[in-house]
Amino acid sequence: MAAPVIQARGLVKSFSGVRSLDEVDVEVAEGELCGVVGADGAGKTTLLRCIAGLYRSDSGDVRPGRARRDLVGFCPQGFHMYADLSVDENVEFFGSVYGLDPSTLRRRRDEMLDFTGLAAHRSRLAGELSGGMKQKLTLACSVLHRPPILLLDEPTTGVDPISRRDFWQLIEVLHTSGTTILMATAYFDEVERCQRLVFLHDGRVLASGTLDDLVASGADLETTFRERILEHDRARGRVEVS
Amino acid sequence: MVGMPLVLLLIFGYGIRLSVNNISAELVGQDSTVVRVALAQHDHFDVRLSVATNEAAARHDLRVGKVAIAVLVGPTGLPTGVLVDGSDAFVAQNSLEYLRSFNASAGAGALRVQVLYNPTLRSADFMVPAEVGMIMLWVGTVATAIGVVREREQGTLEQLMMTPIRKLELMVGKILPYSVLTLLIAVVITALGLALFAVPLRGNPFELLLFAVPYLVAALSIGLLVSTVAQNQRQAMQTAAFILLPQVLLSGALFPLSAIPWGIRWVSQLLPLTYFTPITRGVFLKGLGFSELWPQVSVLCAMAVVFTSLAAMFFKTRLD
Repeated sequence: MAAPVIQARGLVKSFSGVRSLDEVDVEVAEGELCGVVGADGAGKTTLLRCIAGLYRSDSGDVRPGRARRDLVGFCPQGFHMYADLSVDENVEFFGSVYGLDPSTLRRRRDEMLDFTGLAAHRSRLAGELSGGMKQKLTLACSVLHRPPILLLDEPTTGVDPISRRDFWQLIEVLHTSGTTILMATAYFDEVERCQRLVFLHDGRVLASGTLDDLVASGADLETTFRERILEHDRARGRVEVS
Repeated sequence: MVGMPLVLLLIFGYGIRLSVNNISAELVGQDSTVVRVALAQHDHFDVRLSVATNEAAARHDLRVGKVAIAVLVGPTGLPTGVLVDGSDAFVAQNSLEYLRSFNASAGAGALRVQVLYNPTLRSADFMVPAEVGMIMLWVGTVATAIGVVREREQGTLEQLMMTPIRKLELMVGKILPYSVLTLLIAVVITALGLALFAVPLRGNPFELLLFAVPYLVAALSIGLLVSTVAQNQRQAMQTAAFILLPQVLLSGALFPLSAIPWGIRWVSQLLPLTYFTPITRGVFLKGLGFSELWPQVSVLCAMAVVFTSLAAMFFKTRLD
């Protein structure tokens, strides 16, 4: 594996005494597309926020972290753009916050709106866009400064299947162009597209590796993941062994 | 839920008095035991009297707010007239009432009483300048607090935190629009006060605008501080009200500071509005400028620095 550009080692993060991340190790090499899969409450968002530097970890090392925000594009879960600004205005605002000069900003804005298919909707208020368009706008604003690392937190949750497919096309274009991507998702079909997978459950990494590493021939990813969870819960005495 | 009504009860119960005591007074022309004794019989007047050499000096002392009334003493040692600062109508009204019985006890005949700056003691002249400060405080603090908390709730703040923007830039970015908005509102309120209520504006309005800047920075920083403790917009509103209501009641904007007992008056000294109210009343009614108001302006500048520093200390650019 090439030198990791995203790295978490022994990452621990607690909220009100409850461990949301428990000694988590994750590594993503340059140019890799890595998927973190887990159920709600598994710790996916916490992991991404720690890596992005939005949360300060209790212990452990994390990279890139807060110091290198210029290297990171972050697509949070849900819609976090200014609903009362138009598509254009949102892109221009975030571009200016990223410090792009006006001519570069105009060029990137047009590129991004073409890339995400939002060019036809550029004067619409962001709050009036469909779910899929909102996610595309968030992605456009997150990669305006062309970050080498992209963190995606369940970007397709609540999005219709066609928009999901469109969104994945965008992810694949970014990946092909060399962007290192770490994506949290609750969908197995999405994580199967990734080169590296991380099973996250109860704030712990149950397994990580390539699809071939993790799934025995003939088995499917979901069944394998469920078996890992069962083993984990048994080990912790949560499931009675009959 | 319980804290705020309790604090308000204590403030109303102990902090607000409708009878004004410790009205600062001075003698003019010469010292007079007769006048001193007559004034001392009234608990309402501050007996630590100074003596102004002449009426012009007394008028100056009244103008800069050193004293609230000046008793003119004739060659016989008896009072011949009284000058009253009418810029605080509440104090002036109380003074005039107390002076009626003072006349008799001082053995004086009919005194020439002259109320300066607000001769008819119009409520509008008293209230409108103070309202400018109160409205700026409410709008600035509440708008900033709710604006920042709303951004946090909607997640736009999270998105901003992921950009290379620095903490100071983010704070200034949040404060600046509300500063402009609040200043605009202050200008509109002033214009309406002049147009609808014919309140005089004797000082320089641009100077007043300049004096408003440190006050505004202090008010908006309080709003930012509120946003650091409030989890949602409802909490932000409640917390802001919790901070602002006592401020309005204890600052001298509604009830004079001299009506607030000493035990609570120290709280007044910590409130920006306490220093801005004499500025607005001074500029509107007395035509004061920086040479007279620099003490209040200096305190507001210091408060702006302190509150901004506190806001910077507590304002987070992380989510935890």
